[in-house]
Amino acid sequence: MTTVLRTILSSAFTGLLGLDSVQAGQFLLSRPAFVGTLLGWLNGCALEGARIGILLELLYVDFIPVGGVVPPNGAAAAAAGVLAHAAGGLAPSLAFFIGLAAGRAYAPLEMRLRAARSSWSRRVEEQVRAGDLNLSRWLSSAMLAESSALAAYSLLCAAAAAALAAVPGVGLLYPGTDFAYSLMPWLGISGLYFRFRTQAYKKG
Amino acid sequence: MLFKVFIRSFFIQAGWNYERFQSLGFAFSLMPALRKIYPDPERLKAAVLRHLDIFNTQPYMASFILGNIARMEERASASADPAAELKSMPGVKQALASSFASIGDRVFWGRLKPMTVQLCLLVWTLGGFYGWLFTGQPGRPSTALLLAGPLSGIVLYSAAAVYCRWRGLARGYACGGASSCGLDFIDWGKLIKRLSAAGFGMSMAIALFAFGLLAASGSCPGRVVLLKVAVAASVLALHRVTRAYGRSVFFAAGIVFAVSLVLFSVFELRPLTLYL
Repeated sequence: MTTVLRTILSSAFTGLLGLDSVQAGQFLLSRPAFVGTLLGWLNGCALEGARIGILLELLYVDFIPVGGVVPPNGAAAAAAGVLAHAAGGLAPSLAFFIGLAAGRAYAPLEMRLRAARSSWSRRVEEQVRAGDLNLSRWLSSAMLAESSALAAYSLLCAAAAAALAAVPGVGLLYPGTDFAYSLMPWLGISGLYFRFRTQAYKKG
Repeated sequence: MLFKVFIRSFFIQAGWNYERFQSLGFAFSLMPALRKIYPDPERLKAAVLRHLDIFNTQPYMASFILGNIARMEERASASADPAAELKSMPGVKQALASSFASIGDRVFWGRLKPMTVQLCLLVWTLGGFYGWLFTGQPGRPSTALLLAGPLSGIVLYSAAAVYCRWRGLARGYACGGASSCGLDFIDWGKLIKRLSAAGFGMSMAIALFAFGLLAASGSCPGRVVLLKVAVAASVLALHRVTRAYGRSVFFAAGIVFAVSLVLFSVFELRPLTLYL
């Protein structure tokens, strides 16, 4: 299978898995540790995929989706990171930081998609008043839009990474990104520690 | 009827929006119950419109409310004065939504979800894989082991979530109409405390284990080991400071990234390798 085809399939798969984060199921199939490992395996770099995924997961532990808050998107981050390495040809260290930024940058897009659905409420009411009780088509449309947006975004990130890899001198960044990457587990451990430390000292 | 509502409840957030939050998903999930309760199309239409109003709670805990409301609609349908029966419904729905959102966010998002990361690390450690910590670790772990880490968390977490969804629906249906229905399902306070303690203990164990591995890694002279531990500890301190100033982990990661680029890519210093 060519790299292009594998990247397209991986992006489409990310779009499907991404639905799990909010819209369907919430079984944690969209978590970066799983998406990263799975996409890494599909693209022939399971170890790097797992490493990028778990580090993203550790950093994203800092964010909780409460009260309608849109946290950085873990599936987008893992897909962008793994595809930047596997398809874009960038070093895992730089690919990881691209993934980290891509997950954060996806949140405003996700907010816009949610906001776009706000106008649906009245239209759904009108439809029900007219006697049509089929609500599933609204939900299907929402899921299709979210899934397509995430798939397209992942593909775009992979293409951008491939373009970046072609820039002369990009290798000069690697000593810096490699060192920063080697420190990320410690930042993740810190995130895990503070997530529970705050709770353990809280009453109730 | 309840089983169909249960299956549909997995899509309760599919139409989430900023105007009415989960209302579309709530009405969709409740539809099989409403269709059975109201054979009359006009009454069915009125019932669906009632549930297209604002609704938001933690998705797994929504089942308690779905069961409760299904029972309330059933009573209203059989009542000689449905308006009187339905009068308390918005209040019950709102009260339960707020309470269950608070409980569900603490139990699932705040505790169980981060614990799946700990479980993943535990499975990998038991399988002999520390590559998440040391990027230069020799040897390649099997794909099965790499996938087993996140999958173990997914399986355990999903089992708890699906149990909560199904039992919550049954419990809500059994005690429908009460605005405290399901809040005594288990001792939530005790569960939250226990999960916090377990999570904190695991976090401490992971941190100590990671520092232990770092200290024992390679055959470096004592002062190099000390330097490595100090660099790792300084990252934890940096995160602590950025948190104190209300900044997210991205800010700390950004500082690490920028400083590393300046030192090792711009000034081309020889980097200290933290890994094996």
